[in-house]
Amino acid sequence: MTRKFPLYLGSLALLALAVLVSPIVEAGSSPSEATPECAQVSSPDYYEIDLVTTRKVPGARLAKGKGEVTYAASPFGISVSEEGSYLVNIDVSMSNVRLDEDKQLVAWVTTPQLDQIKALGSLDENLRVTGQTDFNKFLLVITLEPKGKEPGAMWTGPVVSRGMSRSGLMHTMAGHGPFESEPCAVYGY
Amino acid sequence: MNALRFAGLLVMAMLLLPAHQIQAQEMDHSMHMHHNHAMPMSDSLVWRMAPMDGMTMPMMPGMMDDIPDVGAFLPGFGMDVSMYPEAKPSEIIDMADGDTLHMDASLVRRTIDGREYVMMAYGGMYPGPLIRADRGSKVIVEFTNNIDMPTTVHWHGLRLDNAFDGIPGLTQDPVETGESFTYELKFPDTGMYWYHPHMREDVQQDLGLYGNMLVDPTEEGYYAPVNREVPLILDDILVDANGLFPYGEEAPTHALMGRFGNVMLVNGITDYNLDIQAGDVVRFYLTNVANTRTFNVTFDGARIKVIADDVSKLEREQFVSSVIIAPAERYIVDVYFDEARTYTITNAIQAIDHFRGIFVPETHQLGTVTASGKASEDYAEAFAEARTNEDTIADIDGFRRYFDKAPDHNLRLTIETKDLHPMTMRMMEVDTLYFPPIEWSEGMPMMNWLSTGDEARWVLLDEDTGKKSMDINWQWEVGDVVKIRVFNDPSSFHPMNHPFHVHGQRFVVTHIDGVENRNMGWKDTTIIPVGSTIDILVDVTNPGKWMAHCHIAEHLHAGMMLGFEVRERGAGPQAGR
Repeated sequence: MTRKFPLYLGSLALLALAVLVSPIVEAGSSPSEATPECAQVSSPDYYEIDLVTTRKVPGARLAKGKGEVTYAASPFGISVSEEGSYLVNIDVSMSNVRLDEDKQLVAWVTTPQLDQIKALGSLDENLRVTGQTDFNKFLLVITLEPKGKEPGAMWTGPVVSRGMSRSGLMHTMAGHGPFESEPCAVYGY
Repeated sequence: MNALRFAGLLVMAMLLLPAHQIQAQEMDHSMHMHHNHAMPMSDSLVWRMAPMDGMTMPMMPGMMDDIPDVGAFLPGFGMDVSMYPEAKPSEIIDMADGDTLHMDASLVRRTIDGREYVMMAYGGMYPGPLIRADRGSKVIVEFTNNIDMPTTVHWHGLRLDNAFDGIPGLTQDPVETGESFTYELKFPDTGMYWYHPHMREDVQQDLGLYGNMLVDPTEEGYYAPVNREVPLILDDILVDANGLFPYGEEAPTHALMGRFGNVMLVNGITDYNLDIQAGDVVRFYLTNVANTRTFNVTFDGARIKVIADDVSKLEREQFVSSVIIAPAERYIVDVYFDEARTYTITNAIQAIDHFRGIFVPETHQLGTVTASGKASEDYAEAFAEARTNEDTIADIDGFRRYFDKAPDHNLRLTIETKDLHPMTMRMMEVDTLYFPPIEWSEGMPMMNWLSTGDEARWVLLDEDTGKKSMDINWQWEVGDVVKIRVFNDPSSFHPMNHPFHVHGQRFVVTHIDGVENRNMGWKDTTIIPVGSTIDILVDVTNPGKWMAHCHIAEHLHAGMMLGFEVRERGAGPQAGR
């Protein structure tokens, strides 16, 4: 005896399938409708600073890290100083680090010429710190310092990791190539 | 071999490889004198080398004699400049509900830095007349086109009826020379707005067709008290030893970066000065009408408090060290001049020397404020307080639950090129290590000048549908709250900041690169820096067919625009998505 699948059940199944696969198209949301939360946007990848370990410091030879760059809060959507330099927040995060109890990591920014140095702050127990800078081009430097000591005018400990800002990658064409007319070193490279 | 030397040889090889033949063109070539039936011209207007003020790079081989692949145009070329009426400084036109203003666009004679130019003006004034009206009122503008190009007038920032938005081909036909059009303006929002053409803005707006609309509040104490209220319109213009530098006839030149001027203007003049009393608090209504330049405005140490942006007060007044204002944006700032001295208004930026790969500080004097004597009323205490604007907060409160909703539209800002000058292609391929968030000035004037709107097409890409620019026609309904996520793609051929403007509606910027905006105001234009993702939340209230676009004039006319349609709620099935 052949069992026939009832037609109405088949139709319902097809309808359920259609509902499941059809795209839900919304022009927007009326004020009464709630919508799902959106994926978080992170700081621009383009300006993110990759922290490269120096492989010199025990416990941090395989350290990884990055500096995420966002604009300081401003009513204009972007923040610059009175002189026009971008004022940015740098969110530093490190991983793969084992420190002695009397040591801490401290983040610094410095110009490529190393003539101005500013402490961003000590990394917390999650190996994170946030600071601000208005340097046009800068190196982000992570050093190993004595714990409990406020960062001074410059670092005293070994450099654990370092990375260059995106703007710091901007290179002179005057220093080499067909335009070579001045030594690269004049521009810090 | 030294790695750097190898890199240098590689660069040289790339530059000199004969992959393309450069179409060298003689400077004085008759084929570039295109005659347009709408524009009577002399036969002798030819291209000349663009001003190279910002250029530090040695001229590339083969570029010296190149000119854009479009004809050159200047208004009134070959005519005696003295035959044009002299433009006069702007006047304030106070308009009551129901009033009518008759206003034209015409060719005028203007003197800038001691030199006379044929330019354009609304109402014969520079800037155009300042229309002042109360919030909630409605006025009529009877507009007549007396310039030798078709035009329209767009009332930037006003949430007016769609039929009067001034968009040729969408809301109206172009107003031809000698014709008229009646605009009905309504002012639902307090603040400073501006009006300008929406046809060949790169030419007409740059030549002086712009003016302000100041909408006064009807509530008492809406703003804190100040001693003076002053509109400041920021602009620039490109000139050389021969006068105004020509524009592209069939299509804009300077399509890559927009047309940066080399002479700064405030309210149409180069020597702006405001006389005040020492101790005065002055409210400046700042409007940026430049084709492409973003300004960073300072007042020589005087304290600045920003109180409002395009369409509303901020949630909280905020002290700032400078005012960053992109093309088409407005900011209302209170400035306290406590000392008796001359204050210099400057544009202070960090320009980029691409050749040397370095930042170079630059300041441009925009004007002066001369403070003497003593303020008649002391508003220093009121100025010192950064007010919390509960009315703005309450207005935005109704939208906070949408701040974290998923975007309704994802837009990518990018560019497509075709037959761009081969040297430009080569140099862009070489110089790719860093693109700044904002192009504050023109670092490569030759390459920029040579790029036309036919060769560089700026694109708004809908990432969800794959549609581009004017193929996009979003469908919304009145009452919708629409989130648009705008990403300025740094991997595009020539990423650059874009001031993104939405017609007919208002929006808030909710997030900048994932960081919530903690002090919002309603806007109609916002900067999208290179590499950034900006979330905007649009309050959709105004039915009709509208545009959204980059407000860099050359980018707009190189295609960087999209359409959206707002229907009444429940009006029927959506189309065009």
